[in-house]
Amino acid sequence: MEVNEQTLRSAARADSASKAGSGRALRRRRRLSAWLFMLPLILVNALVILGPSLATVYYSFTEWSGIGPAEWVGLQNYTDILADGDFWSALGNNLLWTVIFLTVPITMGLGGAFLLSQITRFRMVFRILYFIPYVMASVVNAALWQNILDPGRGIGSALAGIGIPWLDGVSFFGNERLALPAVAFVDNWHWWGFVVLLFLTALQSVDKELYEAARMDGAGRWQQFVNVTIPGIRATLVFVVLMTIIGSLLVFDYIYIITQGGPAGASEVVGTLMYKEAFARFEAGYAAALGLGMSFMSGIIVMIFLYLRRRGWEV
Amino acid sequence: MEQPRRRRGPGVLHEEHREAFREGEQGTKLDVTFQPPSEIDRLVRTALQGGEGPDIVPTPGPAYAGEYIDANLFAELDEYVNRYKWDDKLLGWALDLGRSEGKLYAIPYQLQTMLLYFNATLFEEKGLQAPRDRDELEGLAEELSGQGIVPFAAGIGDEPAAVEWFPTVFWNHFSGPQALYEALSRETPFSDAVFVDAIELFNGYVQKGWFGGSRQKFFSNGFDALHADFGDGKAATNIEGSWFMATAAEFFGQKAGNENEWDWAPLPPMQSGVPRELYELGIGSTISVNARSGNTDGAAAFIDYLVADKKRAAEYMAAIPSAFNAPLPFEDGDFPGSMDERVRRQLVSLSQATDRGNFGYTNWTFWPSKSTVYIQEEIQKVLTGDMTAAAYCKGLADVFAEERKEGAVPKIIEPGGA
Repeated sequence: MEVNEQTLRSAARADSASKAGSGRALRRRRRLSAWLFMLPLILVNALVILGPSLATVYYSFTEWSGIGPAEWVGLQNYTDILADGDFWSALGNNLLWTVIFLTVPITMGLGGAFLLSQITRFRMVFRILYFIPYVMASVVNAALWQNILDPGRGIGSALAGIGIPWLDGVSFFGNERLALPAVAFVDNWHWWGFVVLLFLTALQSVDKELYEAARMDGAGRWQQFVNVTIPGIRATLVFVVLMTIIGSLLVFDYIYIITQGGPAGASEVVGTLMYKEAFARFEAGYAAALGLGMSFMSGIIVMIFLYLRRRGWEV
Repeated sequence: MEQPRRRRGPGVLHEEHREAFREGEQGTKLDVTFQPPSEIDRLVRTALQGGEGPDIVPTPGPAYAGEYIDANLFAELDEYVNRYKWDDKLLGWALDLGRSEGKLYAIPYQLQTMLLYFNATLFEEKGLQAPRDRDELEGLAEELSGQGIVPFAAGIGDEPAAVEWFPTVFWNHFSGPQALYEALSRETPFSDAVFVDAIELFNGYVQKGWFGGSRQKFFSNGFDALHADFGDGKAATNIEGSWFMATAAEFFGQKAGNENEWDWAPLPPMQSGVPRELYELGIGSTISVNARSGNTDGAAAFIDYLVADKKRAAEYMAAIPSAFNAPLPFEDGDFPGSMDERVRRQLVSLSQATDRGNFGYTNWTFWPSKSTVYIQEEIQKVLTGDMTAAAYCKGLADVFAEERKEGAVPKIIEPGGA
């Protein structure tokens, strides 16, 4: 009897161990399958992202024209960046750009989304209208606004023709003080419609009962917005802020197309400066260091984002 | 006045090349790939760096070609100089620009110079004449400004690097070719007062609104807008390279919706001692053979076919003015009857003046690459008041001295010695 019990216990243990073993094997097989599915993507990433990234890291420590052999110079490019007035000026423009994009399109996006959420008729029409600039090519948008804001043939001279002369002859892209805000205006025109749609989607997920409860507690529209809407869309808001900051640090296309950083560097950002260093001044090593510097800054922003998530922020 | 033949796109000409070259050179197949003009230099450079690229490599000029030559990306062409007698066929000074340490790597193409174009119809209506010296130039600008007409159509909105035309013009026609020769070939620095004064003069004209209507418009005007203003008579003149002849017909006459005509004159001397008829020499592009080409012989044969055949080159130059100006010793009788009279006059005048030694230097041809980029980028700071003309010239002197040490300055021909 005792033997039988022992045998049964052993059999049960063996069965349990066997089940556990087969469970582990299954998990291993699943992990292996997952890796096999990911392998092509990992290989592509290694080829088109990791490889060039490592090459950029290497070239940032060299004196390299972009063609021919590179000469190792250690940290020279990085120390040169710290002493480069053009870099600090461009970085200042990046920060100004960030401030503009953290305020104007986000405010417009929130406002636009809120207004759209209040209507049911024509909502889809407005959504499409807001979204059209976002899907248009940047060169098309830029050319459109270059013509509209042309000092001799644009809106300024058209308004002057009907007796409103205050914009006549104003060269938005040729004036050192106006060039950067003017390009930011064009970029914002293309970007804010996308922000509206993001916020609108987030607004629709906010529980309507919360608004009713707030109203019953005597909350006005503004208090509802601050105490219900903003907490309700916090994840989207933080995501948009994150995207805005990273996008502003890496901005390139609209500035390059419209002003190429001019006049006299007034709208230069690090992205356009980097392009000029690499392709006009034949300083590809220095450009690589500039690029890595900007990537480093973007990395810090992402780290802060991840840190906030770990601290329990719903982002 | 004889109108130019209807323009044919480069694609048509390249098709002709493909067929004609195939007939002439059995065994060598010509494949032509088109890339956007704004992208081609970057694309070619990336391809060459990756060990690829076309057999025949174009560059935007000798300064740019120098970077490729330093990186050993171009094949030596000296063997073909003898085979195709390029020393006899091509202008010697131009061929020298493609040499590095005595060896030939690049064949110059697109011979250029800077000119003063004027709206001939407007000038006739107002009884004006092309200025012959600085006093006449400034008198003309004052008079036109007073009438609400922009003296010089100008703008760098589309291509900020095009600002380099103006330091080039003022250094040649104010400082003079001899001063430039001294600075380019010997030890006279660009910080010398004669160069600083030229930049101050240019800056003064810009601040007066003579270029493009105002300083701000000068920064933002695009080529189409400024050329349209020139054609319509809102602007009276245009300081631009000979390449403008290729597109002038788009802004004048019926096609442009006006009845105006254009003409050109040499840029006037702005100081005594500068020749009355002076043309800056420029090379707008070069052609080389990829060092990794599997058919260097075939590539060299095509270069000879394209550049060195005087009759064929003259036909292309008549079909599309200034786009295919080969650096060959042309005479008046070499050009076909279909060539626009203004284009012919410009080519003959340039040839005769350079024979007399009355030539100057364009920065994109005779300055090394870093100096050229400095000229393009820093001059804007002078115009905005962020830098003095003296500091600008001092900066150029420093960059140029560094490049001279590196041996990057091309061979400079002495005025009067062409």
